Amino acid sequence: MLKPTRIFPSSNSPTLAGERLLEPILQTENLWKVYRQGKLEVPALRGVSIDIFPGEFVSIMGPSGCGKSTMLHVIGGLAQATSGRVLLDGNDLTTMSDSARTLLRRHKVGFVFQRFNLLPTLDAYHNITLAQHIHGNGFDPHRFQVVADLLGLSGRLKHKPSELSGGEQQRVALARAIVSEPKIVLADEPTGNLDTKSSEAVLGLLRQLNQDLGQTIVMITHNPEAAAYGHRVLHMRDGEVVDGSSVH
Amino acid sequence: MIRYMITQNVLHRPLRTFITVLAVAVEVTLVIIVVGLTSGLLSESAKRIEGVGADIMVQPPQASYLMAFSGAPMPIAIGDKLAQLEYVQAVAPVLTQFNTSGIEIVYGIDKESFNAVTGGFVFHQGHDLRGLDDILVDDVYAKSKKIKLGQTLQLFNHDFHVVGIVEHGKGARLFVFLSTLQEMGGAHDKASVFFIKCDRADHTPAVTDEIKELLPRYEVRPLRDLMSLMTSSNLPGLTAFINVMIGIAVVIGFLVIFLSMYTTIIERTREIGVLKALGASKGYIVRIVLSETTLLCIGGAVAGVGLSFLMSAIFIKVFPTLTILITPLWVLRAGLIALVGGLLGAAYPAWMASRKDPVEALAYE
Repeated sequence: MLKPTRIFPSSNSPTLAGERLLEPILQTENLWKVYRQGKLEVPALRGVSIDIFPGEFVSIMGPSGCGKSTMLHVIGGLAQATSGRVLLDGNDLTTMSDSARTLLRRHKVGFVFQRFNLLPTLDAYHNITLAQHIHGNGFDPHRFQVVADLLGLSGRLKHKPSELSGGEQQRVALARAIVSEPKIVLADEPTGNLDTKSSEAVLGLLRQLNQDLGQTIVMITHNPEAAAYGHRVLHMRDGEVVDGSSVH
Repeated sequence: MIRYMITQNVLHRPLRTFITVLAVAVEVTLVIIVVGLTSGLLSESAKRIEGVGADIMVQPPQASYLMAFSGAPMPIAIGDKLAQLEYVQAVAPVLTQFNTSGIEIVYGIDKESFNAVTGGFVFHQGHDLRGLDDILVDDVYAKSKKIKLGQTLQLFNHDFHVVGIVEHGKGARLFVFLSTLQEMGGAHDKASVFFIKCDRADHTPAVTDEIKELLPRYEVRPLRDLMSLMTSSNLPGLTAFINVMIGIAVVIGFLVIFLSMYTTIIERTREIGVLKALGASKGYIVRIVLSETTLLCIGGAVAGVGLSFLMSAIFIKVFPTLTILITPLWVLRAGLIALVGGLLGAAYPAWMASRKDPVEALAYE
């Protein structure tokens, strides 16, 4: 049974209404994303406005097709919004060029995917250091060691993804996402391809990263038990956030 | 990091890598062997013409350095005029005929004047030309064609008797009487070239000037310059041929690398999406694709050079009269040609990879 062991107050909790939470790390205002299918316009996001504060672990829940993944892509700078604003660490993604968003992703966003998305030809060590290489600041052995130890990967670094279990692969993906110290980690159904035990381990690690390193995390899931690991849960339906008040 | 990544990528699909490297190697081999064969042919011809021992050669207007490609022959009477010039010791008229069945030039010679200019043949076996159907062959030709003294050799639908095997290096590998070749080719009283021996080597420029004055439109060439003139770039026909072969080689390299990298990019669509999600710029992705191409091309070039030497050794074993000249310059050029062709071939796949939409790429199955 997935059960969080630590309850983190919501952003509107008086205990965390200190200075740190006054400035959201991520803010969306009336965010729209409309896809065109021939002559048909399909809105995937319909005026979404949310605030994510530094150090928060927020889960976004909703049924398939409700716009969760689109939301993650837009707030992570992978896709351009149709209208509205996305402010990530003070940068408005909606006015940025493709290359500027690439640069922003490099320095401020870490992604974790449902299918792990590790490079199959590289071993775990190089999959993780790849992020540091792209980041451009070179290899930081201290940070690498901290992350590898935290995620229990030290003994598996020489293995290629095909030699790792699903849970191990996702731990490598987590390490890759956080090794360059991003402002925010965006996790897209990180337990969707894992069995219960591995899911529990990965969610536990996400929470640990949040607690120990203060890592801000936004996680998409359709599993209420997984969502419960977050400090708060945003519910989406038909491209809108219908309930953002769920607080543990 | 990129070096490690591209090495792993290349090793990940060994068959694809092998086929690509092999194709580039064939491209490089094609360039090296084609150029080596033409250069070898030219240099070997030049050496043999030099070996005639003449100081000057006179050819008809517009004639090629390579006598096999020469045009219409000249009246033999010109030889008499040349012989009367100051400082001229001997003039040897030679009619050349290209033997297409063996890719060889046959010299029709006037025995006395040819010996006067060349100092005469060195005989390994047999004796000089005596009868009209006699033929002399050089030792290289005799060895490669397993020709024995006294046997019959058919050339231009005519049976010749091999009466002598001579030391190679006197212009051609096969020698018959001038009159016989004139008769066979219907070129009565004609010669393709006059070899001129001066009384002293330092009179060559003066004699050259005299001949140019006497025969203004004719090709008058001091043989000392011949080796330097015997390059493919001085033979427009050969230059075009080499360029066409290089063009074909580049197209092969271009297409193979294009196809290889194109399929690779399609196969790695999701990986490209991951790189983009991690913040890899378009330049970073282009660099990975082009670096991998460079690695494949370098591998192909190295294999191609090895293959060229192997092919060359096989060719020379099978066709001993062939000369294949593999020079470091052309080895380098062939490698660069393969690299440029490969990079051009990879340019579009690299551009395509760099422009992939990250969301679509990540959703690729």
